[in-house]
Amino acid sequence: MSKLNATDIQGFVLRGYNMPCARFCFLHFPDAKSARHLLGQLLPAVTTGQLWEGGKPQSTVNIAFTFKGLAALELPIATLISFPVEFQQGMKARANILGDTGKNAPEHWDELWREGHVHAWLAIHALTPAALDARHAELSALVTSTGVRLLDAQDAGSLVIDGQLTTKEHFGYTDGFGNPDYLGVCRSTQPGQGKLLPDGKTWAPLATGELLLGYADEAGELPVAPVPHILAANGTFMVYRKLHENVGTYRNFLNTWAARYGSSSDDAKEKLASKFIGRWRDGTPIESSPDAPDQAIVKDPNLNTDFTYGADASGSRCPIGAHVRRVHPRDAFGFNGKLVNRRRITRRGLPYGPYTPEPPDPNAPLTQSEIATLDSTDRGVVFMVLNACLSRQFEFVQQQWISYGNDAHLGNEKDLLLGTHKEGERFSIQGDATAANPPLFCTALPNFVELRGGDYFFLPSITALAMIARELVDPR
Amino acid sequence: MSNQNGSVFGLTFLCPILNDAAASPSHDLQIRDYLSTLDTRAGSPFAIAPGTHLARLAVMDDVIFVGSPAIEEHLQSKYLVFETNCDSDVDPYIRGLASAVPEHLDAVWQHCTGYPGAADATKLVAYMKACQIPTSFFFAAVNNKSVTQTLTALQTQQAVAHFIASHQGMEPAQLQREFLSFVQTLRALPCPAPCSIIPTGGPR
Amino acid sequence: MSNINGKLYAMNAITPMKPWKTRILRLIFFLLWHIKSKQADLIHLSFIQFARWVIIPRNRFPSLSSGQKQETLKYDYLLFFSNFNGTWNQYIDAFSDVLSDGLNLIWRWSEKFPGSVPVTGFKEYIARVQFDTDYYYTSYPQATANDTKAAHIVVAALDTLAAQAATQTPEQFHAAYLQFVLAAQANLGTLGDAPAVF
Repeated sequence: MSKLNATDIQGFVLRGYNMPCARFCFLHFPDAKSARHLLGQLLPAVTTGQLWEGGKPQSTVNIAFTFKGLAALELPIATLISFPVEFQQGMKARANILGDTGKNAPEHWDELWREGHVHAWLAIHALTPAALDARHAELSALVTSTGVRLLDAQDAGSLVIDGQLTTKEHFGYTDGFGNPDYLGVCRSTQPGQGKLLPDGKTWAPLATGELLLGYADEAGELPVAPVPHILAANGTFMVYRKLHENVGTYRNFLNTWAARYGSSSDDAKEKLASKFIGRWRDGTPIESSPDAPDQAIVKDPNLNTDFTYGADASGSRCPIGAHVRRVHPRDAFGFNGKLVNRRRITRRGLPYGPYTPEPPDPNAPLTQSEIATLDSTDRGVVFMVLNACLSRQFEFVQQQWISYGNDAHLGNEKDLLLGTHKEGERFSIQGDATAANPPLFCTALPNFVELRGGDYFFLPSITALAMIARELVDPR
Repeated sequence: MSNQNGSVFGLTFLCPILNDAAASPSHDLQIRDYLSTLDTRAGSPFAIAPGTHLARLAVMDDVIFVGSPAIEEHLQSKYLVFETNCDSDVDPYIRGLASAVPEHLDAVWQHCTGYPGAADATKLVAYMKACQIPTSFFFAAVNNKSVTQTLTALQTQQAVAHFIASHQGMEPAQLQREFLSFVQTLRALPCPAPCSIIPTGGPR
Repeated sequence: MSNINGKLYAMNAITPMKPWKTRILRLIFFLLWHIKSKQADLIHLSFIQFARWVIIPRNRFPSLSSGQKQETLKYDYLLFFSNFNGTWNQYIDAFSDVLSDGLNLIWRWSEKFPGSVPVTGFKEYIARVQFDTDYYYTSYPQATANDTKAAHIVVAALDTLAAQAATQTPEQFHAAYLQFVLAAQANLGTLGDAPAVF
């Protein structure tokens, strides 16, 4: 395959910046001229995928557009209609497909997303709050000067727990494992991140075209992409979802079921928490270490995502419906994982909102009022997905593997923490005959996470950004 | 016998549709129209007559021209395709339909050439056999369970899931008593009707 | 959406074959039928409830009355009927990903078949040769192939436990009950509606 030109690809696509602060600004274009003018001014600031030889910059800038944004930029109509239908419709119109119903339905979203005026996502990541504010001030002055409207901004930042910067989210799970490896994209690959080879235990990077448009994908062809080729190449599609987390509901649910899972000691509670996701809250995969967390595994990139489910068909080590097993089944469907290779997604994101530490007695039952207060605090995760094909990758995983269970032979069971649960639904935790690992069936499932908004974006290459800015896009 | 896999039968029929230029709408359109309003759930003729796992009806207008260098050709008649996955072979299956839902058979097949009507089951079977095409290869995921066995199994599965979930941590003697009572109740339940909603919360 | 009923999708496809190629296909079906290991992948894919191929030789279209014109065709026709779970795209993606050799073996004898890999051309071909269902019935619309298989496993486990339950001591029963739960635990999914079509 051809060598990637990292200077043409936006840095956000090629790597997680691992910066603790971020602000996602959402723009509206009153007309094409001001939009293009802004884009032209922004171009030099957009962070590319070039490696940082001299250490990380203080802040980074990236930009992406909704379909409405591209239409507002007045791209040629033949180009616009060549975008995939799901992107043209936008995430709000696809709510039924994605299982975004009930409390997750668009009528409950933040006004910004309900209204549907978002044209662009302008993302600032920074090493410090001061750097973030400085960059933001600079950029918002620029935006205002061109007449483009800044609708709103979403702050996000790594949680500080016990004085330490962490990669945890508000339920206490350590995040950020297992992003896929793609050919040519990653400097080093980690076992478990790519695709399984026929020997059933070695991993190789996925085809570049699973992430980037214009490159061969796992099906041995160039993925369907908008025209012209030069507009699409080195670009990708992004999903942005603001996920509110009901911390009170989660802690209460965990405490309640931990009491039924064994003794009410911390062991049973942490073990149960690990069964929901498939990793201990410190990040240890339970398939590798079912009895206890193990920081040695977590800290070793060659271990922390290297596992398969072939020896655990019964789900007694990692439940069949656990989150990581649902979204990356690895070899669980047989065929050496081939059914999974075109369903992988790259995840980026940061938590938002204040962290509330666990109470001094973490096992003490919470009152209804405490639960409600914890739930209503504005916090959660800003979740972003990058993939070459929204319908085949993100939408498929969200619909078939999170909001449904047939491929895992679980009927209509949903992902416990992310699913929109209705009355009568269950979460099965398979176990074995030992006292420390019994089967458990959770019922009366509440909704732990609520979608507060989001949309689908196109993240163009640097070349494409320049072409859009200079009105040089021809559909053929 | 390629029409059969285990205890399940895969029967395929191609029934030529009447070619009457004077009919308006044409007979194939009349079939389509009738089928578009026919109940596909509990009120379906296939739910009322026994032994159909899955079945479909499709009006096949013509063969497909896949593009040059393939030759373009056309059928003289349209055909009603009837594909069924059922628990018995042609004779008993068709007789079952004729006996339970003759009016639906007549409503659809009256538009087909040579259809004798559902009133005389022997003639009907002969007609269907004349329309039958041998299945060349028949695959079944589960090939050894009848419709009633499948419906009963689904009912059992949900009832068991509910029992297990609601009896966690119960002390053994009480669990045993409640289990025995549960089995008795469950086994006394009638087989669920085809297409009925099987409650997740266990038997009412 | 007449192709869909509950969690099931009814796909119909018809493709033309030169008559001399039909003989080869019949042999292939014969071998497939008798060499059970070749069906293993199909079974393992687990989202097909029933599927069939039907060869109609060019002079074997049913002819029932002298009033009906005989068909005069150059090609034999291969009909394919599938009853599967999941979306159209998912179904074809899966076949292209893992069963492409088998698919090619069956369809390469059909005119202008482009091969099942890469998948986009394959999907275009299927879209061209697919015709719609007018009426689709299933006795268990809320259940997939996986659901029915799971249900049968649960029935077997229940029968095993129920056979001994009445005569066991509570302690014996408790142990047997745990075994029963372990046998059933991965087969207790809920039933319901299919996800929205896309």
